[in-house]
Amino acid sequence: MKPEKKEMLSASHLVLPLNESESLLKFESKTDEEVWNAFDRGNELAFNYIYRVHVKAMFRYGSQITCDSGLIKDCVQNIFIQLRDKRGSLNSVSHIKGYLFKSLQREIIRKLRKETKLGRDGMDQKETYFPITLSHESILIQREKDEEIRQEVRNALKALTVRQRQAILLLYEEGMSYKEIADIMEFSEVKSARKIIYRGLATLKGILKKT
Amino acid sequence: MRYKDYDTIDFLSDEFFIQWVKMPDKNNRHFWEKWMQQHPEKRETVLEAASIIRSVKYAHTIELSDEMYVESFETIIKAGNQKSGNKPEIESWLSFYPLRNIAAIAILCFCGWMVHYHMIEGVEPVKPVVAEEITVFRSVPPGKRSVITLADSSRVYLNSGSEIEYPKAFNQGDRWVRLKGEAFFEVRKNGYPFSVFARNTEIKVLGTSFNVKEAQANLSIALLTGKVQVNDQKGNQVRLNPAEMLEIEGDGKFSKTGFDPLEVAGWKDKVLVFRSASFEEVRTKIENWYGVDLKLDGKLSENWKYSGMYTDENLENVLRGICITSGLRYKIANRNITIFNPK
Repeated sequence: MKPEKKEMLSASHLVLPLNESESLLKFESKTDEEVWNAFDRGNELAFNYIYRVHVKAMFRYGSQITCDSGLIKDCVQNIFIQLRDKRGSLNSVSHIKGYLFKSLQREIIRKLRKETKLGRDGMDQKETYFPITLSHESILIQREKDEEIRQEVRNALKALTVRQRQAILLLYEEGMSYKEIADIMEFSEVKSARKIIYRGLATLKGILKKT
Repeated sequence: MRYKDYDTIDFLSDEFFIQWVKMPDKNNRHFWEKWMQQHPEKRETVLEAASIIRSVKYAHTIELSDEMYVESFETIIKAGNQKSGNKPEIESWLSFYPLRNIAAIAILCFCGWMVHYHMIEGVEPVKPVVAEEITVFRSVPPGKRSVITLADSSRVYLNSGSEIEYPKAFNQGDRWVRLKGEAFFEVRKNGYPFSVFARNTEIKVLGTSFNVKEAQANLSIALLTGKVQVNDQKGNQVRLNPAEMLEIEGDGKFSKTGFDPLEVAGWKDKVLVFRSASFEEVRTKIENWYGVDLKLDGKLSENWKYSGMYTDENLENVLRGICITSGLRYKIANRNITIFNPK
C-alpha cells in the first residue's frame, strides 16, 4: 500500500497541475538559469512551468516553418521527451525560450527533409518560411486608404529575405534580444544579427516613408 | 549616439526601446515617459517607430488548441515513465486514476451535501449568508483630481468630473469598483480578481495598471502593464496586452489600437497633452482640467490643430501657450474664458 501511495502523489502532480498556478507562483520570479537547473535536477514543477510558459509560443513558431500541425506537435513532444530523458546531465541554458525555438526549428527541418527528401537544401531556400505582415490595426496602415499603397507595402514585404523576416519577427513578435536572435539563427557573432535586422528595416522604412 | 539624435530606424533597432514598446514595465516606462517629456520634438518619430514595431506580425499562425495542450503534456510525461523502466503498474494505474478520482469526488460531494442538508439547513432554516455590503461614493468636481486608496491598497486616480463607488471593505475574492467618467487604476495583485464596471462593461484584472475613460457614448480602456479581460453586455470577451487600447462605441462596436501612454494617462501625473487636437478637443480638455467655461469668439480655419504639453501648469500659461502658437488672444473673466481670433 505504501509504495503505491507514493506513486499516486507524484503522478497526480504530473497530470493535474496544468490547472494550478503552483508552478507559476514558484518559478515566475526565478531566472531562466535557475528554472533550467531545477528541471535538470528532476523538479516536476519546473518542467511544468517550462511547458506552460513556452509550449504555445513553440507551436506558433513551428507554424512559421510548416503548416502541418501534426508534425509540429510531434516535434514539440520529441524535444521535451528527449530533454526529460537527459535530466541530470543537461547543459546549462540561460535563455529557455531561445533554446527551445532553436531545437524545434532543427527538429522540424530534420523531419521535413526526411519526409520530402529535401536533401541538402537549407532553410534559406524555402521562400515560404516566416511570412510577415504589417497589421491593419496599425495607425500607419489605416492612414492609407489607397489600394496602390497597400500593394506597395505588400511588395516591399516581399522584398525581405527569409532570414530578414525571421530576424525581424524574432525581434518584434517574440521580443528577443540580438544575442538570442544570433543564437537561434546560428550566427557566430551578435553583430551579424544586428546587420541582418538593420538591412531588413531599411527595406521596410523605404515603404513606410512613402505612405 | 544619444537618443536625441536617433532617427526612426535607430529607434526601430534599439533593444531598450523595443522592450518598452513590447513589454513595458516600471523601469523602462519611467525612462521613456520622462525622456519624451524632455524631447517633445521627438514625439512623432518615437510614436511612428512604436507603431511600426507593434504592427509587425506573423502573417499566419497555427495555435495550439487546449485539447492538444493537455494531450501533448500527457504524451510527454508517459513517454518518460515508460522509458525509465518504471514498472508497467504505473501505466495501468494512470489510466485508471481519473475514474477513481471522479468516484471519490462524487462520494465526497454527496456526503457533504447530506451533512449540509440534514444538519446545517435542518437546524437553521433561513439565514442570509452575505452581510450587507457598505459602499462608498466618491466624486471629483471639474477642475480637480484625486487619488483614492482602496481597502486592498490598490490605487485609483480619479479625473475631474468623475465618480466611483466601491465597497468599504473588500470581502475576500470580491473586489470591484463602479466608475463614471475617467480613472487610472493601479491594482495590487493579491490572488483575487478585481473588476471595474463602466457603462455595461466589466473590466476584469488580477494586478495591473490601466486607464478607463467614458466620453459621450464611448468607452476606452488603455492597458499599461499586466493583462485585462473586458466583457461587454452582449457577452463579447476581449483580452488586452500591454500598450493596447480597446475602444467601445455606443452601439457596441469595438476596435483595438495602440496609444500614446502620456496622452492617455499623463493626467494622473498632472501632464496635460494635446496631440494634433481640434478646437473642440482643446476646449473639452481645458474645461475639465481647470473647471472653467471656454468659448470661441470668431472663427478658426477648418484644419486648425494644436499640439503641446504642460506639466502641472496654471491655466493662464496654458492659454498663453496655445494662443501664441496660433496667433489668438484670450480673456479670462472669473470662470469664463473667451478665445478670439483677432484676424
